[in-house]
Amino acid sequence: MARSTSKDAQDLFRALWSAYSATPTNLKIIDLYVMFAVFTALIQVVYMALVGSFPFNSFLSGVLSCVGTAVLAVCLRIQVNKENKEFKDLAPERAFADFVLCNLVLHLVIMNFLG
Amino acid sequence: MSKLVVFLFLALIPLLPLLCNSFSPEKPSDRRVLVLLDDFAIKSSHSSFFKPLQSRGFDLDFKLADDPKISLQRYGQYLYDALILFCPTIERFGGSIDAAAILDFVDSGHDLIVAADSNASDLIREIATECGVDFDEDPAAMVVDHSGYAVSATEGDHTLIASDDFIKSDVILGSKKIEAPVLFQGIGHSLNPSNSLVLKVLSASPSAYSANPKSKLTSPPSLTGSSISLVSVVQARNDARILISGSLSMFSNRFFRSGVQKAGSPVKHEKSGNERFLTELSKWVFHERGHLKAVNVQHHKIGEADEPAIYRINDDLEYSVDVYEWSGTSWEPYVADDVQVQFYMMSPYVLKTLSTDGKGRFFTSFKVPDVYGVFQFKVEYQRLGYTSLSLSKQIPVRPFRHNEYERFIPAAYPYYGAAFSMVRISFSRIFAFVFLSLN
Amino acid sequence: MAASDASNVASFRNAFGGVLSFFILILIGVLAFSIRLFSVIKYESVIHEFDPYFNYRVTQYLVKSGIYDFWNWFDDRTWYPLGRVIGGTVYPGLTLTAGTLWKILNSLNIPLSVETVCVFTAPIFSAFASWATYLLTKEVKGTGAGLTAAVLLAMVPSYISRSVAGSYDNEAVAIFALIFTFYLYIKTLNTGSLFYATLNAIAYFYMVCSWGGYTFIINLIPMHVLLCIITGRYSSRLYIAYAPLVVLGTLLASLVPVVGFNAVMTSEHFASFLVFIIIHVVALVYYIKGILSPKMFKVAVTLVVSVGLAICCAMIAVLIAVVASSPTKGWSGRSLSLLDPTYASKYIPIIASVSEHQPPTWPSYFMDINVLAFLVPAGIIACFSPLSDASSFVVLYIVTSVYFSGVMVRLMLVLAPAACIMSGIALSQALDVFTRSIKFQLPNLLGLSPSIDEGDASSDNAVAPNDVVKTDKSEDTTKERVSRKSKKKEKEQVEKPVSKSQVKKRLLVLPLEASVIAIFLLILLAAFYVVHSVWAAAEAYSAPSIVLTSRSHDGLHVFDDFREAYAWLRHNTEVDDKVASWWDYGYQTTAMANRTVIVDNNTWNNTHIATVGTAMSSPEKAAWEIFQSLDVKYVLVVFGGLVGYPSDDINKFLWMVRIGGGVFPHIKEPDYLRDGQYRIDSMATPTMLNCLMYKLSYYRFVETDGKGFDKVRHTEIGKKYFKLTHFEEVFTTHHWMVRIYKLKPPRNRIRGKVKKSKSKSSTKTVSKRRGTRRNPF
Repeated sequence: MARSTSKDAQDLFRALWSAYSATPTNLKIIDLYVMFAVFTALIQVVYMALVGSFPFNSFLSGVLSCVGTAVLAVCLRIQVNKENKEFKDLAPERAFADFVLCNLVLHLVIMNFLG
Repeated sequence: MSKLVVFLFLALIPLLPLLCNSFSPEKPSDRRVLVLLDDFAIKSSHSSFFKPLQSRGFDLDFKLADDPKISLQRYGQYLYDALILFCPTIERFGGSIDAAAILDFVDSGHDLIVAADSNASDLIREIATECGVDFDEDPAAMVVDHSGYAVSATEGDHTLIASDDFIKSDVILGSKKIEAPVLFQGIGHSLNPSNSLVLKVLSASPSAYSANPKSKLTSPPSLTGSSISLVSVVQARNDARILISGSLSMFSNRFFRSGVQKAGSPVKHEKSGNERFLTELSKWVFHERGHLKAVNVQHHKIGEADEPAIYRINDDLEYSVDVYEWSGTSWEPYVADDVQVQFYMMSPYVLKTLSTDGKGRFFTSFKVPDVYGVFQFKVEYQRLGYTSLSLSKQIPVRPFRHNEYERFIPAAYPYYGAAFSMVRISFSRIFAFVFLSLN
Repeated sequence: MAASDASNVASFRNAFGGVLSFFILILIGVLAFSIRLFSVIKYESVIHEFDPYFNYRVTQYLVKSGIYDFWNWFDDRTWYPLGRVIGGTVYPGLTLTAGTLWKILNSLNIPLSVETVCVFTAPIFSAFASWATYLLTKEVKGTGAGLTAAVLLAMVPSYISRSVAGSYDNEAVAIFALIFTFYLYIKTLNTGSLFYATLNAIAYFYMVCSWGGYTFIINLIPMHVLLCIITGRYSSRLYIAYAPLVVLGTLLASLVPVVGFNAVMTSEHFASFLVFIIIHVVALVYYIKGILSPKMFKVAVTLVVSVGLAICCAMIAVLIAVVASSPTKGWSGRSLSLLDPTYASKYIPIIASVSEHQPPTWPSYFMDINVLAFLVPAGIIACFSPLSDASSFVVLYIVTSVYFSGVMVRLMLVLAPAACIMSGIALSQALDVFTRSIKFQLPNLLGLSPSIDEGDASSDNAVAPNDVVKTDKSEDTTKERVSRKSKKKEKEQVEKPVSKSQVKKRLLVLPLEASVIAIFLLILLAAFYVVHSVWAAAEAYSAPSIVLTSRSHDGLHVFDDFREAYAWLRHNTEVDDKVASWWDYGYQTTAMANRTVIVDNNTWNNTHIATVGTAMSSPEKAAWEIFQSLDVKYVLVVFGGLVGYPSDDINKFLWMVRIGGGVFPHIKEPDYLRDGQYRIDSMATPTMLNCLMYKLSYYRFVETDGKGFDKVRHTEIGKKYFKLTHFEEVFTTHHWMVRIYKLKPPRNRIRGKVKKSKSKSSTKTVSKRRGTRRNPF
């Protein structure tokens, strides 16, 4: 049983990897970007657990800026993904403009909340 | 007569502002005194008491108590600063005066000296009761003391008492000790111990009791021992002062001049203590002594001169107040080390003793507590014999403003870093995209 | 050729319909605005009730001192001596809105006073709210339903009650914000555009600024997302609509000082985070499912997803543990009383004491939403045919708001828009069915071409909305189900010929006469709704409550006692004097009399209110001591016994006892009740007859009619002749509705023993001298 599951898992990862490597480069860049944001958020949570939650607003804005960036990037990725049928008629430029706007709002708020 | 009064009154009109000012916070001593007498003989028989008053500048106006023309006020203004009632037997005043009028007179800040006697009238008793002094209910009762009586040639019923049980207060009785005992003959009274306004100035000895000396004692006397007060003073909450004595004769020339020897005491004094005692007491009653004023309350942040409209929590502030004492002629700096200020909101958050520079200025500094709300600087200063000082000044204390909190906390640098790196990569992405799409 | 003709006609018709609906919307706005002006016309342009006075005062401060001072405003004139940090405890949305409005008007050289702007803010925003309703309903069910819903909302009595001119309260703008946020959410859901998601977050921010009811949004939307996920309707549009909203919304919410860290710390918001996590897991699953073959996906499910689920469960457990560790489970009192309707009455009398926090009665449903109550079920059915993401959201909205309105009367306000949307959908669908069935049968009768009517018919839908035919309704909607499927605009043209034929086929079932009668009935009921709404706006909800009127046989009486009393206070007392009253009158006292109060309508400190309650229910001396310790100079009581004004302090008195007794146990409620009955006649308990509130209310009352007959309690009072020892009456208004007493200073002298026999003679002379007005006892 254990062998079969580990084999399954190997198969799965291989399949996942092959499926993923088929994605276009720009989507991969976005994925990298998401990974980086999530990673930063996790580091901050660990730091907070060590240091304590004193400047709570800073912590919140730090983590939420990462999470927000990640979420927005995921949204962008969904929208510009050619394989996604739902957004056929949405131009990537439009999607990107929306993304920029959203980011602007997000970061303005973060800057406001940070101090 | 009435014409004369009218004329006098007209003549007084230009003086009225002057007269009205005569009792003022600036000069708390009394000036015009109305003396109500049972009959004019008292004026001469008690002249030793009145003379020094006049020489101290008091303007005494002698009237018969049942004179129908007497009045305390005219057009809502009081005509006198103080009132002396030497009319123990009066049942009803003349004119518009009654007990309520006299009490109103006191409640508007004027002073009163009441001398009762045995057989004092209900009216006098009522005034005394209203002030917190209860005379013995038996109208014929006198204070009798078989061991503390004054040795005298004529009287044998021991109602002439020599008492030297004075209140221990330099403010009320002057700083010089009164050596000779005070002669007293009259009715005793009791005070309610819970009454904080009334003070026993001269009390009877432990062996005294109050009863009718003419009749045999059938039941235990209602008042006994040192709980009997012979002379009491009241300082009302508005600083009006009242002197109530159970004896009119203690003010008389006869008692002033006679020598005194207390029974059982070998010392025979040439002169009784009455003159000293009553002169000092009258000085106190007429606000020539023991009157404090506080002016110039200031508070400000340390390092600033102006008084702010509002403090912030944890501000450091300085508080100061000038306190002066009236010496009878001028305001002298008051010196004490027990004046305290509270920083008060429902309960004192800060309680500090003020230090003084000897020139009347009291000051301290402290930190505003870490609580916001509407605070008060409170000085509640009540000392025996002095008029009470009760200052309160309201000042709000606010929390930090939004931009007064700490910025750039070191512990938060990682968060700042994270947020800025997010901004950076977002915008580098944006620029990259724009750049790419332009190409 | 024919095709282009047809498309021309269609586009012309569309354009015409667009212009028409635009004008209809403008008219709806005018209607919404003008129906709320009855109070100004009947009374005057004043701020109403209690809370609006506070908002008005805050707005004045904002206009005078600017936004930063407002943000940091520490108000030392309320809650003496604690003070109140206004900037940090107030929802600033309304104030900022009115302040901005005033600034704009002034910069345009329209010199309106702040008060005028405040008075008309609510009607303006109700017009906005009806437009937002149009947009929302349009997203759900199309233009016709949108217009119908907008008209209904413009005059729904429940909303009118909170937004008449002068009712300058948070709800006035909050309902607009609520509907608009929902609209943007639905819009994002339908389009999947990040742009709308951003707008949605900003609208949510405005809502958070405006009203504590924003928690409704932040719980309803996650509920809807969860519903969609569970019913298998997950789409990436859902992700785009939800995930940015949570992140941006949370951040923006914590920018509002009054919410602050509560946006992440309290349980009201946890649902959204939970769903945020769930939606990510689901999104990941869908993504993996998308890129893997079905077989591999099965493997993935068994492996990754099961592990993921385990992690999720662990996280949920941690979250629950965190929440459960706090005593109130992290919920605020008001939220708890929503979830458990008996909570408030059990633990927090101060919440239960407010009449608008009581559960509503059935008549109030009829009063406040009228015929909409009957149309709602029909609307729900219409929403299920077909069920889209948007319509499921509206259904969820109505269901939750019905529950909440059942708990608190005040939340009827949240129900009203939902009911309007539902009824709008129901009505427009019903009219659609009827007019269509008429339209397709008319040619048979008259030989006319069907196409000409259509434009008219659709415009009819819009203009003549409203009503209730419950029975017809459900039949119709079920029949309509298929034909209504395609409501999206882009597809409309394409599908038109198809749907036409479908409709023709199916609707022939409805006989012409039945349709005509049904339409007639609908219009009749709509007329009834309009009449009721106008009546409600003109009569029931237009009274400003600071000025009262009563109509009796000898004409109209106006009771302007409140303003009389406040004016007296303003002109006759020192600026720093403190006035104690029950908290209802706190806001008005600070705003109108400009005097410091001890407690006010912002009931943030229970102990302080309990102190005042205790003072009111204590005997005179104890009360005097309590008030003295708070530096109170004047005590204000509201008394309705002379003119029959029922909401006076005596009727509120039991709450004072309860709230006071909750903190100071020596006040016991049974002491004030005789055999469980609250009475003030001769059967009342001695505690009751000696308490301060009784004495201040009924002091000298017997002098008015000789008997002391209380017109509110319909009884003669129990103790008629008494004197006040520690208080003195300084002012009583014309109709005795407000009585102001001053605390006597401490006695100047302390009396000795009272000897009755001795002082008799003198008191006789005293009473003779003082004249005849004394009480003969």
